[in-house]
Amino acid sequence: MKLFLLFIVSVLMLAACTNSDSGGEKNDASENGEGKTEIEFWHAMTGSGQESLDDIVASFNESQDEFVVRAEFQGSYEESLTKLRSVGGTPDAPAITQVFEVGTKYMIDSGFVEPMNTFIEKYDYDLSQLEENILNYYKVDGELYSMPFNSSTPVMVYNKDAFKAAGLDPEKAPETFQEVIDAAAKLKTDEMAGFSLLTYGWFFEQLVATQGGLYVNEENGRSGDATEALFNGEEGLKVFNFLDTMNKAGTFGNFGTNWDDIRAAFSTEKVAMYLDSSAGVADMIANSPFEVGVAYIPYADDVERNGVVIGGASLWMSKGISEKEQEAAWEFMKYLTTPEIQAKWHLETGYFAINPAAYEEESVQKAWEETPQIKVTVDQLQDTVPGLATQGALISVFPESRQQIVTALEELYQGKDPQEALDEAAKGTNRAMEIANKTKQ
Amino acid sequence: MNTEVKNGWWAKSANGRTAILYLLPSVLLFSVFIFYPMLRTIYLSFYLTDQSGKAVLNVGFDNYAYLLQSPEFLNSMKATGLFVLYTVPIGIIIALFLALLANEKLKGIGFFRTIYSSTMGVSVAASSVVWLFLFHPSIGMFNRLLSVVNIPQIQWLLDPEWALFSVSLSTIWMNLGFSFLIILGGLQNIDEHLYESSRIDGAGYFYRLRRITIPMLSPTLFFIITISLINAFQSFGQIDILTKGGPSQSTNLIVYSIYREAFVNYQFGTASAQAVFLFILILIVTVLQFKFGEKKVHYQ
Repeated sequence: MKLFLLFIVSVLMLAACTNSDSGGEKNDASENGEGKTEIEFWHAMTGSGQESLDDIVASFNESQDEFVVRAEFQGSYEESLTKLRSVGGTPDAPAITQVFEVGTKYMIDSGFVEPMNTFIEKYDYDLSQLEENILNYYKVDGELYSMPFNSSTPVMVYNKDAFKAAGLDPEKAPETFQEVIDAAAKLKTDEMAGFSLLTYGWFFEQLVATQGGLYVNEENGRSGDATEALFNGEEGLKVFNFLDTMNKAGTFGNFGTNWDDIRAAFSTEKVAMYLDSSAGVADMIANSPFEVGVAYIPYADDVERNGVVIGGASLWMSKGISEKEQEAAWEFMKYLTTPEIQAKWHLETGYFAINPAAYEEESVQKAWEETPQIKVTVDQLQDTVPGLATQGALISVFPESRQQIVTALEELYQGKDPQEALDEAAKGTNRAMEIANKTKQ
Repeated sequence: MNTEVKNGWWAKSANGRTAILYLLPSVLLFSVFIFYPMLRTIYLSFYLTDQSGKAVLNVGFDNYAYLLQSPEFLNSMKATGLFVLYTVPIGIIIALFLALLANEKLKGIGFFRTIYSSTMGVSVAASSVVWLFLFHPSIGMFNRLLSVVNIPQIQWLLDPEWALFSVSLSTIWMNLGFSFLIILGGLQNIDEHLYESSRIDGAGYFYRLRRITIPMLSPTLFFIITISLINAFQSFGQIDILTKGGPSQSTNLIVYSIYREAFVNYQFGTASAQAVFLFILILIVTVLQFKFGEKKVHYQ
């Protein structure tokens, strides 16, 4: 009882202190009236992701009585990152921020963050329980800076009914570029294109990586600051030629840069095969009026398949906030990685479980039996050959580089020479990296 | 002698000082929200910024030089010019036509006035989303209609030849309500007596339109042309939602390009330089308009 009183008094004093120096503002994480530590969690999840996340946060808040997490939607990944830039490193920063994978290098360089390693070492947390292929992406110089959270990879989604109608084996999806080109030619009808790719840099990166190709120099930016783009080399050219061949043959469908557009095109049978994020697969299977097949992404004919690079986002802990808040953030992150929560997350959103023990959960096993396609996404990730290419590139100007790729793809579809289009994108990326390196302090 | 001169100056400037006192609140507000950001933009345009947006490297006029030889920037200037050309004249002519119709005194005209001005009540974001669905390549309304009459489908937002046209089309629709309302207001302000006397003199409808309506409406038209021009130069929302500047940069209007450079690429230096170019451009257009356009304006 005495202890409890002491606790209350100290909390009140603390509250008084924090109030006086933050000008009475209460939007920041601090002790709340019940003596719990309250922290903010900025995320960019919408739709089923947001619902599931709100559920998880609520269950965490109920599971213990020391900490309260408040999940706040802050717009798209780009928008929330822009907001973070204005408060990062100050006590007003959210304790946890969800940042997309290509923001990794930027976050490390920013100095806003407390590396995950600090807490992993402090509490002897067993990292080996998490998925190795996911950790590989987020580990930089062997250190884990952020906690992986929602991870996805690309997969090829195809219309099994259309395969049957075209006389193709619906159980055996084409695997190489040439096989896809041939299948697309057979699948093409007046109403339906054979193959499509969202005009988005991420898919290009994946098609380069699965051939073992690097995106930039300095070992994909992992051994130092990258200075030169390599994606306009042999591997990148193969991807562009692959798309160019189908585009010229008229078997390629261009549905633009919007995820919803290409998904609508697939489910209304305007295209027979396309690449999608593994996180979109479950919805597509449920919403399509035909049978949907899921397969590994295609690779160039004369190389080994390397696999995929992790995409999605991870959770970053802020520096400059109180220790108590950091503790709260750590507890929440630990809670997120438990198998039960990961199983729920995987099933409700289609993102991977970062803790593979989740796949053993009964609910997951049952769901896989019902829709075996979802398992393909997990298999593809676990079959990935670890290496520099599949670890993913690390550059701070990724958003800009992706935009250059989008432009290059659009120009390719308008008939520009593949090598020329790629070189232009590489030139733009090089300039962006040069400026970033020049201004880095 | 000296003091007298001083006093004289002090006394003479009394009016000026009072004026400054009255202007102070707006000067203060403008300084905080317009002058300071403007000076800051000009300052930043001479620098390269680091990852957190701080100016770290003075590069003089390099950002400007880079822009002037950058094909992307020149392309976005060209796209902006075309966009202004597509949207402003057509938008105003349609608004004028609708306003003339709605200015007739008929039963139930209030209904049409409400309908014609209703696009004003819809935000750019909401209407862009609606247009996005209309333009949709596979399930969009426009392509459905085309297929009904057996015309080959058009990739409204995905074909670089069509995208700017499609965005202009939706922009004209979005701005119609506002232009309509302003022009209608102008029409209602024209003195009825002018029409009455002209009718007595036996003037026909088109004669009255040319000799009374248009001249009397000229201040309003001048206002709406200026505002529409500036608005068109600054269009952003519909681009962001409909095309994101694509395909092949064909709809990368200058404000969108500034946004991308600043908030996606985090290059505040080049973004600021672009903003300065835009400022100069709008300034020139507005000055030219006042110089040549205002001569034709008839103030009552």
